[in-house]
Amino acid sequence: MAIVNLHNVTYTYPLTKTPALQNINMQVDEGEFVAVIGPNGAGKSTLCYTLAGFVPHFFKGELTGSVEVAGQESSKSNLHEWVLNVGLAFQNPFNQISGAKYTVVEEIAFGLENTGVPRDEMKQRVTDAMKLTGISDLGDRSPYSLSGGQQQRVALTSILVMQPKVLVLDEPTSQMDPIGTREVFGVIRTMAEKGMTVVLVEHKVEWIANFADRVIALHEGQILLDGTPGDVLTSDLLAEKGFGISRYTSVARKAKESKLWKKDKLPVTLDEAVEGFDLTPHPSPRGRGK
Amino acid sequence: MRIEIEDLHFTYPTGLEALRGISLTVDSGEQVAIIGQNGAGKTTLVKHFNGLLKPTSGSVRIGDWDTKEHSVAKLAKRVGYVFQNPDEQLFSKNVGTEVAFGPRNLGFNGEQVQALVKDALVLTELSDKTETNPYDLSSTWRKMIALASILSMDTDIVIFDEPTTGQDAMNVARIANVIKALRERGKTVITITHDIDFCAENFERVIALSQGKILLDGKANEVLGQEEILATTYVDPPQLTRLGKRLGFKETVRNENEFLAALKQ
Amino acid sequence: MNSLSIYVARESGLHTLNPITKFVLTLCVLFCGFTLPGIWTSYLILTFVIVPLAMWGKVTKRMIQLVIKISWPFILSVFIIQTLFWGQGTALFEIGPLAPKIEGGVFAFHSSGRILFIMADFILFSLTTRPDTLMISLKQGGLPSGLAYIIVTTLQLVPQFVLKANTILDAQRSRGLETQGNIIIRARALLPLVLPLVIGSLLEVEERAIAIEARAFNSKRVETSLLDIPDTQNQRYARIGLVLFTILLIAGRYIWLS
Repeated sequence: MAIVNLHNVTYTYPLTKTPALQNINMQVDEGEFVAVIGPNGAGKSTLCYTLAGFVPHFFKGELTGSVEVAGQESSKSNLHEWVLNVGLAFQNPFNQISGAKYTVVEEIAFGLENTGVPRDEMKQRVTDAMKLTGISDLGDRSPYSLSGGQQQRVALTSILVMQPKVLVLDEPTSQMDPIGTREVFGVIRTMAEKGMTVVLVEHKVEWIANFADRVIALHEGQILLDGTPGDVLTSDLLAEKGFGISRYTSVARKAKESKLWKKDKLPVTLDEAVEGFDLTPHPSPRGRGK
Repeated sequence: MRIEIEDLHFTYPTGLEALRGISLTVDSGEQVAIIGQNGAGKTTLVKHFNGLLKPTSGSVRIGDWDTKEHSVAKLAKRVGYVFQNPDEQLFSKNVGTEVAFGPRNLGFNGEQVQALVKDALVLTELSDKTETNPYDLSSTWRKMIALASILSMDTDIVIFDEPTTGQDAMNVARIANVIKALRERGKTVITITHDIDFCAENFERVIALSQGKILLDGKANEVLGQEEILATTYVDPPQLTRLGKRLGFKETVRNENEFLAALKQ
Repeated sequence: MNSLSIYVARESGLHTLNPITKFVLTLCVLFCGFTLPGIWTSYLILTFVIVPLAMWGKVTKRMIQLVIKISWPFILSVFIIQTLFWGQGTALFEIGPLAPKIEGGVFAFHSSGRILFIMADFILFSLTTRPDTLMISLKQGGLPSGLAYIIVTTLQLVPQFVLKANTILDAQRSRGLETQGNIIIRARALLPLVLPLVIGSLLEVEERAIAIEARAFNSKRVETSLLDIPDTQNQRYARIGLVLFTILLIAGRYIWLS
């Protein structure tokens, strides 16, 4: 059952000539986890804004084609109703904190207050959401006293508490340090395993390969590739167009030329690479693999 | 131009003791990466190099200058510092003027400034954008402008604070090229980075900080192979290093060439 | 400091009062203090009204600390200026050209009292009232939520703004910009410091607008509140009583004067 359906979508921002998105055709089934990759300027953020309704309702500009998400059609909806179905989180956690609240608990409840949820229900939902994302111990802290990773998790919780049907994430770990990245990926993985429909824009290819169902490669406003992580992330096309690819893929590609990589398929993850390089593998001391 | 740091201690006005006895020397022309978890003291340390912070005790010498005796603006003649967020420094009406700001402040004459700007723009692939307003360009190019505006100062030492955060693969490659060019010109390059693969592929010497002290300091291959110790400051080894270990390589590898060479054996 | 509020949480009766009650109380004390005559009035209000309230709120020490910290430069200058520049009068002593007058001292004493009691009044309010609780109460009373949002976020975001300004200052100094020196040097430093601050802040504002929009800020539904800000009938009566008392006092003073 497709919960997201973009049909021939072309969008141009106001006062610009080149469309940011051209002829996008994209479907996402309920519960699918789709990763979107692409160089800067490819249209990834615009795609996120389109799914979340900000294109065209917030940014104005010209949108042609149809955008259907969770049973709502873009041209027939209001932004303030659309946001209840689609949650959006982006790169900079600091800018996602409302600034109106002095504690994390109240910050998370902000969206529920705005939609008129009764107090008892609000309290329960906030408690549950914080447990899910692992921030129950941060309740009394000021949002501005938290680390980047903690702030980003608060931002995510604030969106998840509104129980959206689709979660759209625009490079949520780009500004995180390794600990923050791990924390944020942990939350995303939990939501995906619970059956949430997730669209994640990311550069960290190895993680995507381990957890995404599907990868869409965006280039200059158009969809270049759309398929399984194994297929898309090892495609020669990506390397040609300047996409970031896993070093395992790129080194295996070179090794293939010297006949040192014997398999047909190139690896994306560490485990695939270990398996494919025809040597006796030694397990790493801490058994770690992302 | 040597950097000499002797028993550096630094405590913030809030009482936080961020550096607890750091001693190290960076020779002219070295390429050094500083790694470690947030709060380990990386930015605090590096801000001592251009005088933004002065030691609570101990000393920092840039060449023959003790940083306690010179202002930040004076030290800018020897040490360039590329901050993380380009939007926190861009203010000129076009790229050319922006990149000229640094060298002008340093007292270069008109001709010299022109030459320095031209050179910096070539290195950062901005030559065709001299007349453009920085804010008309994407964040990718604004990052390059920020780099160019420090390169044009032609300092012996250049510091990069998290240069690849939030950048796509092509821009990371551009930044790596800039660092390579600096290396070829004999400049000292110091970078703070979380991107361990970028660190492995571009830097000869790696210093790992933890809780205000030096945890590890040595050649990249040696430091990056020490998985257990690095884990205490929340650093994962580079992808190819990990792969090499899992495949049982004797030597620690840190880039493609080393990996392929080791594979052939 | 994470926000401009100096609020300290305490288990006290004063803290549990409705924020609007406290606000009304603060304003009434202010107006009454100004209306009553005499050089000792301010000090009496401090001792017999404000300090007891502070003790009820368990913030006496902090209040006194803050009041002294903020007021002392003003009080010092008032004393110096008024005693030394008071036209005709009785001199306390004479050292060369300096002849401080008693009358000046008396006037300064009066003015200082005013400075102190006003400071203490507002500081006490800020110490015992978290700004967002005041906003919630005002919103319940009809204040538009957009306005409430702007006021509260300004309080929280000004320190962050200052942090950003400092980063910009560091970045430009690192490019050789001199910021200390004569007026020309400082004037030249203005644009490189102010422009990135303004543009950067505008960019942040746009992102924040999207973030709050994503949390249904512009929803047409009736808002609810996580926090329960209790108000009692007694407090309502008290507020009306306080306002009436203040009006009567002011009216009485005018009648007495004329």
